[in-house]
Amino acid sequence: FNTKEDVVQVCEPQWPENGEDWSDGEGGTDMDSGLLQAMAEEDEEINVHNEETFGMGFGESPPPPPPPPPPATPPPPQPKPRSPRRAPWSPHRAPSPPRQKPQYFPRASSRQRGRSRGQRAALGRGQMFEDPAVMRIIEGRPSLKSLDSAIVDCGTTMYQRPFEDDVTGSLYIVDFFPFLSSTFFFMQVYPPIVPRSPLFPRQPLTPRQHYNQTRAFMFPPTHPCPSTPQTPKMMQLRFGANSPRPSPFYSPSSNPVQPFRYPGPATQLHPQHKRLLSQKQRKPEGWDPYCNLMTAKEKEWITRLQMIQLQSENPYLEDYYYQEYYRRIESKMAEEELGIRSKREPPKLTTPYVKKTDSYTPVVHIEGSLGQVAVSTCYSPRRAISAVHADQKDTRLQRLDILNKIEKLFMVLLEVEETERMKTPLLSEAEDRRLVEKIQRKVEHIYSQLQHHNPLESEGDFLPFLLVSKGKKLVARLLPFLKNDSALKILRVVTTNLPTLMSRDADETLPVLYPPLRNVIGGLAFSQLIGVLKDLTSLESLTTYECLELACQNKFGLSLLYALLSQGEKLLSSGVPLEPSIGDFETWTDIIFQVAGQLSQCSLVEPLLLPSNLLTLFCRYLDKRTVHQLKSNMESVTGCLALPS
Amino acid sequence: MCFCSDVVVELKNDLSICGTLHSVDQYLNIKLTDISVTDPEKYPHMLSVKNCFIRGSVVRYVQLPADEVDTQLLQDAARKEAMQQKQ
Repeated sequence: FNTKEDVVQVCEPQWPENGEDWSDGEGGTDMDSGLLQAMAEEDEEINVHNEETFGMGFGESPPPPPPPPPPATPPPPQPKPRSPRRAPWSPHRAPSPPRQKPQYFPRASSRQRGRSRGQRAALGRGQMFEDPAVMRIIEGRPSLKSLDSAIVDCGTTMYQRPFEDDVTGSLYIVDFFPFLSSTFFFMQVYPPIVPRSPLFPRQPLTPRQHYNQTRAFMFPPTHPCPSTPQTPKMMQLRFGANSPRPSPFYSPSSNPVQPFRYPGPATQLHPQHKRLLSQKQRKPEGWDPYCNLMTAKEKEWITRLQMIQLQSENPYLEDYYYQEYYRRIESKMAEEELGIRSKREPPKLTTPYVKKTDSYTPVVHIEGSLGQVAVSTCYSPRRAISAVHADQKDTRLQRLDILNKIEKLFMVLLEVEETERMKTPLLSEAEDRRLVEKIQRKVEHIYSQLQHHNPLESEGDFLPFLLVSKGKKLVARLLPFLKNDSALKILRVVTTNLPTLMSRDADETLPVLYPPLRNVIGGLAFSQLIGVLKDLTSLESLTTYECLELACQNKFGLSLLYALLSQGEKLLSSGVPLEPSIGDFETWTDIIFQVAGQLSQCSLVEPLLLPSNLLTLFCRYLDKRTVHQLKSNMESVTGCLALPS
Repeated sequence: MCFCSDVVVELKNDLSICGTLHSVDQYLNIKLTDISVTDPEKYPHMLSVKNCFIRGSVVRYVQLPADEVDTQLLQDAARKEAMQQKQ
């Protein structure tokens, strides 16, 4: 072995032989003993904090706190102890307190003590070693393997704590400055490591910042710099005894193999999520040779540390999808429990199957050439990009413009929905009114933007947006917030342009408009209803019959028609005075007959909803036989009764 | 097309890999287990591979099972995320 001295020599290059030569430009006199004392105190704080925070249970009761250096200690301060070869360590050693963390070095050598004090004194400059991250080097216990080269595998023996005894040997373990997270020692190190001087206060990162920062570093964000104030609330939330315990779900000791789908400790998973995970649980796959290298406690500790990073004070903002998804599942289950049948199917994603029309020949041989053209092959399958044709540019630009507008309006809509969610009964009057105003303002903004897209275009209000599926979804979500006359306007646009909408609905997103429009229809007065029906049936080039025929062939159209008729029947049978305009009733009966003719003859598509009072309506006006025929025709499509019997 | 239970990862080199999602990390590196190559098995060198680690930067698409994702909610979450990043 090398002697300690030699080894120390290796590790500490360029120690000036003459202690007085030590000068770092900032003046050795800067480091007065007051600062030393402050640092000593800080160390104590750090130690206490680490114990509390991480509760590592590294077990050793810290040695009694070292006596603070007498304030009047004159120099020799740092210079002398830094010369390693100097014999007179002892006189300088006496006043210097052991500065190491008691946990790690309860009986470290005196030389180390003195030296480390000196190192401490030169903090913030990082001049001692090449690597600015390295602040102190201590000797650790050599591993079995380094001692005896015959040992190839230590098996599952627990590696004893390396820092305990008097050290011999040549193994050195670098200890990072304790201001850096002590967890840093265990985690991977991503260069560059930013050394933190204790003299520079560090702001604790907000959850948002740390969320971004943990991409680059592995700093636990809330490890506070002792010189920075930490809100007591945050401390209480996360650390020490209040650190979230592992969920009972996680049992590291029960089986040696960790099924990776277990949530780690300290996860606050939604109970629904936990249930789903337990259902998906798999059997353990086999023996894991690395399962006993760490104790369960250590594993738990590390996992807890990682989970701390994931805590946030505003989960609804930062983990919106997760929170909202499980909230919806919960409310759906709650609904089911209450016995309310949900009539709608859960939304399913239907990706239309697009046939790949342009295939390419991977190997191209040009006539008369000697070889083959380098085209993508199965070993290099990169496809060539197909260029955009120039003549389609305008329509594309228009479409892009509309899509862009829709996206911006979606942002506003999300704000509206968020504000709506915040309106609880607990709010004060003024607060409530303020929120309502805010909502109205934004809703009107969206509405006006949708209405007047392009003054030059003759396409009409709202239509360009309704032709795009995203626009349909936007309108569908906007409708509940609109006032009656605005909503009616949109309904009339839909019914007026129904054939266009139906024909240009490749994705079949029209049905998304049905529920909100049905609500609008439910609020119509009789004459308004007649107006809408007129829109539906008196289109430019088509007769009423043809309009109806078109409508009946389309799911959305048929459902809309049914909804309108149902509303009419409801109004008629309710006994409320209708105040019809002249000719309303005639239009009404006329449409009834036409519709009846349609429905009984052609094959119907399945509507989204079959109102229960339709047959009652037909019974009013038609003979029994026709009604019966209608009934069987309608029922054959839906498979359910048109009239609850 | 694919008979896997979970996801299909399409890479930038046009290779599509079907498999069960094992884990994802901060770089969106993906670990898949029980993989198979979809579409024509033009890539026979993958036949014996059961598990794989895919570097996040080479992924073009990840196709998720339709009934386990609420796409509307996902779109809203993405919009909110974009909004927050702008601020």
